[in-house]
Amino acid sequence: MSDEGDAAEPGLERRLKRLEHIVASLEADDLDLEKALSLFEEGVAHVRAAERILAAAELKVEELLQGDRTRPLENGEQ
Amino acid sequence: MKPDRQTLDLFGFRTPQAEAVAPSVAPVAIPVALPPAEMEPEDDLDFVEDGGDPDTHAGVEPKVWTVTEVNRSVKEMLEDFLPPVWVSGEVANWTAHRSGHRYFTLKDDQAQLRCVMWRSDARLLPIDPEDGMNVRVFGGLTLYEARGEYQLAVRRLEAQDAEGLWRMAFEKLRKKLDAEGLLDPRRKRPLPRFPRSVGIVTSTTGAALKDILTVLRRRAPWTRVVVRACRVQGEGAAADVADAIRVLAASGRVDVMIVGRGGGSIEDLWAFNEEAVARAIAACPLPVISAVGHEIDVTIADLVADHRAPTPSAAAEVVVQDGVVLRDALRLLPARLSRSLRGAVERRGRRIAEAALRLERGMRSRLRPLRERAARDLERVERGVGRRVERRRQTFATLGARLHALSPLAVLARGYALALGEEGHVLRRTADFPPGQPFTLRVTDGSVDCRAVGEEAS
Repeated sequence: MSDEGDAAEPGLERRLKRLEHIVASLEADDLDLEKALSLFEEGVAHVRAAERILAAAELKVEELLQGDRTRPLENGEQ
Repeated sequence: MKPDRQTLDLFGFRTPQAEAVAPSVAPVAIPVALPPAEMEPEDDLDFVEDGGDPDTHAGVEPKVWTVTEVNRSVKEMLEDFLPPVWVSGEVANWTAHRSGHRYFTLKDDQAQLRCVMWRSDARLLPIDPEDGMNVRVFGGLTLYEARGEYQLAVRRLEAQDAEGLWRMAFEKLRKKLDAEGLLDPRRKRPLPRFPRSVGIVTSTTGAALKDILTVLRRRAPWTRVVVRACRVQGEGAAADVADAIRVLAASGRVDVMIVGRGGGSIEDLWAFNEEAVARAIAACPLPVISAVGHEIDVTIADLVADHRAPTPSAAAEVVVQDGVVLRDALRLLPARLSRSLRGAVERRGRRIAEAALRLERGMRSRLRPLRERAARDLERVERGVGRRVERRRQTFATLGARLHALSPLAVLARGYALALGEEGHVLRRTADFPPGQPFTLRVTDGSVDCRAVGEEAS
């Protein structure tokens, strides 16, 4: 219920890791141009997506209850 | 003879009950198994309600107590009117009964005191003391009625230096876990650098949760936080913490876990020094950050965890990257990507140019020996040909001389003449000379124009 269907979308960790890999590949020596171009495009897409993730303004705090249910934890704000 | 007896004054006070029982005199005298020589009875008091001496009250039946009654009232007096006390001494005959109660003797060089620690109190002991250990105990005196023995019901037991038992328990568990390899630094897993979701095992009412959330909110508000509440101190806290770790890990909702609580006394933090928590952390499939108490408090949980944070706030600092830094890095990335792409293109161009150059140089260096050999061969050929030509030339010269000898001109010099027709052909027979036929007569020094004048003479 709290999963909001973003499980398939790669998270920050995966995106940043991929970005590191892309930058390293682009800076490495042997890469054909077509591949370099597609890596570049992929990298820019990851940057945009990561920026969207980081733009989240509010920390989401839930409490894990019995039976794998969760509820928002309001006093997380106090 | 009077029975051995002594008064409650031995313990330093009088009780109202004792006065009620015997208003005329001081408190009830209690027979106890102490040498009478050491006793100075201050008052006379008998186990008869009229307070009389059995010998001086002939004819009056004294009240006769049962043993049970005596012990019960002594017990009540001990329990009701003696405040609990701290007693120090050396532990002897420590016995942990199957029931969970502990029985032991506390002694100094002159005396012994029977002690009991009921299960509910003994459960809070971090570890059982060893015989011979100097301890101090806190408890109330009571009487074990079945034996008529008085004893101290110990509620707390500490080593002489207050934290000794805790340290002993800590060391014992540390050694045990170490022997199993659970403290091996190589077991420690790296923390995810950008966790999508952080789990927290702590009390929802404690300061620790508040501190952690404050830091997460500031540094990484995109993070999801899942809290599994548990008690973090008091009886059952360790089992509660261990259970929370397992449940949170099994939920699959988090990438990394912070387990901890705010500062407190060593007893408050004790749950984090218990085996149940240590094992739950060691078995946790996710990396665990321990964050117990303050900087100076090192717990078993800290030793087993993948990462030890000195405080809950520090745990939050280490579990997420700072959003400001991250956003800055991301802002620079597109430029870096295009720079790398351009670099890749340029490198490619350079590589082609280099390859072409290398190819040319390679060809040239390969051709040079061929060309040199060709030149050498040519020279040799030329030299050979020259020699051959010269030889021919000499041959020709010789032949020329011989030919010359055969030349018709040489014959003419000897006086012969050659008749040549108008076309320069040799006229050999008489038929070649019809009358009137002009011809040229070639002699050794020139030619003479002639004409035939007649027929053949014959």
